[in-house]
Amino acid sequence: MMRKDSARFLTPPQFAAAAAGALAAALAALVLVAVLAMPAFAADENVVNPQQRPDSSFIYDTPLSALGSADTYYDGQTVQVVGEAIGDAVNAEADGSQKWITLSAEEQGVTSSVSVYMTDDQASRIDTFGRYGATGTSLQVRGVFHLVCPDHEGITDIHAEVVSVVDQGSTHADGFDPKAFIPGAIVVLVGLAMMGVFYYLRERQR
Amino acid sequence: MWQRFTLSDLRTIGHYLGVLILFMAVALAVPFAVACVFQEWKPAANYLLAVGISLVLGSALRLLRIAPARLTRRQALAVTGLAWIVLAFIAAIPLFMSGHYNRFMDALFEGVSGLTTTGASLTIDLDHLSNADNTWRFMMHLLGGLGLIVVALSLGLFGKRSGASLYNSEGRSDHLVPNVVQTAQFIAKFALFFIIIATAILTVVLSLAGIEPVRAFLHSCWLSVSAFMTSGFTPMSQSVMYYHSFPLEVVLMLLMLAGSVSFTLHAELRRGRVMAFFRDLEVRTMLVWLAVVTCVLAASLSVSLSFNDLPSMLRRGVFMILSSFSTTGFQNITSNQMVGVFSSGAFIMLAVCMAVGGSAGSTAGGLKLLRMGIMAKSIVSTVKEALAPDSARVVVTYYRLGRRRVSPDIVKEAMTVFVLYVSTYTIGALVGIAHGYDAIQAIFESVSMASNGGLTSGIVAPDMPLSLEVFYIFEMWAGRLEFVTLIAIVVELVVSVVPDSLRHRAAARGGDR
Repeated sequence: MMRKDSARFLTPPQFAAAAAGALAAALAALVLVAVLAMPAFAADENVVNPQQRPDSSFIYDTPLSALGSADTYYDGQTVQVVGEAIGDAVNAEADGSQKWITLSAEEQGVTSSVSVYMTDDQASRIDTFGRYGATGTSLQVRGVFHLVCPDHEGITDIHAEVVSVVDQGSTHADGFDPKAFIPGAIVVLVGLAMMGVFYYLRERQR
Repeated sequence: MWQRFTLSDLRTIGHYLGVLILFMAVALAVPFAVACVFQEWKPAANYLLAVGISLVLGSALRLLRIAPARLTRRQALAVTGLAWIVLAFIAAIPLFMSGHYNRFMDALFEGVSGLTTTGASLTIDLDHLSNADNTWRFMMHLLGGLGLIVVALSLGLFGKRSGASLYNSEGRSDHLVPNVVQTAQFIAKFALFFIIIATAILTVVLSLAGIEPVRAFLHSCWLSVSAFMTSGFTPMSQSVMYYHSFPLEVVLMLLMLAGSVSFTLHAELRRGRVMAFFRDLEVRTMLVWLAVVTCVLAASLSVSLSFNDLPSMLRRGVFMILSSFSTTGFQNITSNQMVGVFSSGAFIMLAVCMAVGGSAGSTAGGLKLLRMGIMAKSIVSTVKEALAPDSARVVVTYYRLGRRRVSPDIVKEAMTVFVLYVSTYTIGALVGIAHGYDAIQAIFESVSMASNGGLTSGIVAPDMPLSLEVFYIFEMWAGRLEFVTLIAIVVELVVSVVPDSLRHRAAARGGDR
């Protein structure tokens, strides 16, 4: 019983020693992570930031589908969205240093998308755009949502402030499989044979 | 007395439908070639199978009658009417195999929407659709916009004997040149001229916007087809808004406007008859109508909280007016903005624009401006008759390739089609409301489907109820055929199916009275 109590309640010197040890370990871990991550962030390379996704300190994690049906409540709010960059980086008409990126996300079988206005530098982090045979880079974008953007003749958009890569894009081109063409080839041959029969019968009738 | 189809009629109709299905096999070879070029092997296999199915089905139907006689008017109506749904069924096969549709009915909806140039889409994850599938979607627009029968006639698929009855049954009555086949060829060449020029311009515009040249070319080609055919499919889910390009929107507006003008009037312009063009009743109705709706939309938006500044109103408002008036269905605002941010007046104006539509004999849908003009003239005639002395004979005329009299027959035809359109809009709206949707949105969607407009307030979506989807398919089909052909087919089929004993009993009952 005594041993159990002494194990549960540390004496002040023991507590101070344990706290100092824990603090030193935490600091050492922090320094190690910072040193490892420093080169990548210093060079501003297109890297996956594994720290980003679990971060729930923002209250603005907004599904794209919510923006797709947004009312004036969202207008002018800072939002944070995650979506796949699809299509192309389209040059902004008024400002050559800006790009339009379309983010798309599927939620409960419904695909929603939104236009994001970002700098060339932010857009350059996208390594792949989503299209047939390619899954685009997954981006997390924090920025100001405009239901009717005053700067872009009323379009619905997000003006990006912070853009981070959540997942790299990937390509998955179709492999050529001759077997996949066999049913089609057989049916085409049958169809051509039937056409031949038709023309044969028609010639005979003449 | 209703006439019923004989077995011989059905064999002849089957033969000609077979010819059209075989033509579809040739059309399906285009996306197959695109798939091979871009090494999209899965779509390539799908399109090869679809080509094969078309060949087998088409050949089987042709075998029903080896040497068909000349088509009668009743048979031509049946061929034309059934062609739109039968070919949509064939068109849906490779689309369904793409995996971008929840069920076959969704792919059939896409096929009907593509061929009838409605442009409403149920594609899931459109932004990842293959180039081959996209090419097929726009091929459908091209074929449907020109008219399936026009394309077939211009290629000489029906020979020389059956042309006129088929041509007229597709809702076209104007012959630009004396020969029907030559008229069809003129329409096809004229459309291709516009599409090629627009594709070249848009390729430059999109390349300058930073889109890869090959992709820029493909998107330009697809958008040009969709705009001139006043159809509405786009390769990206955000529609025209995706490109963020004002020059592109200007080119598309010009194309939509050109597409919604009658081919007959284009031919007049080509012959240098500029005054005849501007004296035409339909052109004058169009100018007045566009001025009115633009003013009403501007007034409606100016009192709302959004889109009330001049740049927004000009860029978004004018584009949306032209898109709905021409029944194209392109959007440079989101559906959410259309429903929730536009004032209700502006939203309804878009529906009214779609309901009226463009010119008769153009690629546009809706009631048609010519009919509206004739009905307005008829009202003038009625007022004049009321005011004139009993002995006076009132004659009201209008200009359409020469001076014509507003005769009771012409007014009757215009009024009949008007009533049929309005009835369909109303019934479609009631069906939407019965499915639990908001009344205004249900009216908008019903008008959009029956007028082949294609703008959507959000009801047309992959998760929409099946029964509503089937009704919208019917609305698109009926609207494209302007009802008369479709009603004629339905009556013929019903009469042909009802047993003789029942018909005789009904006739006898009628005689007793």
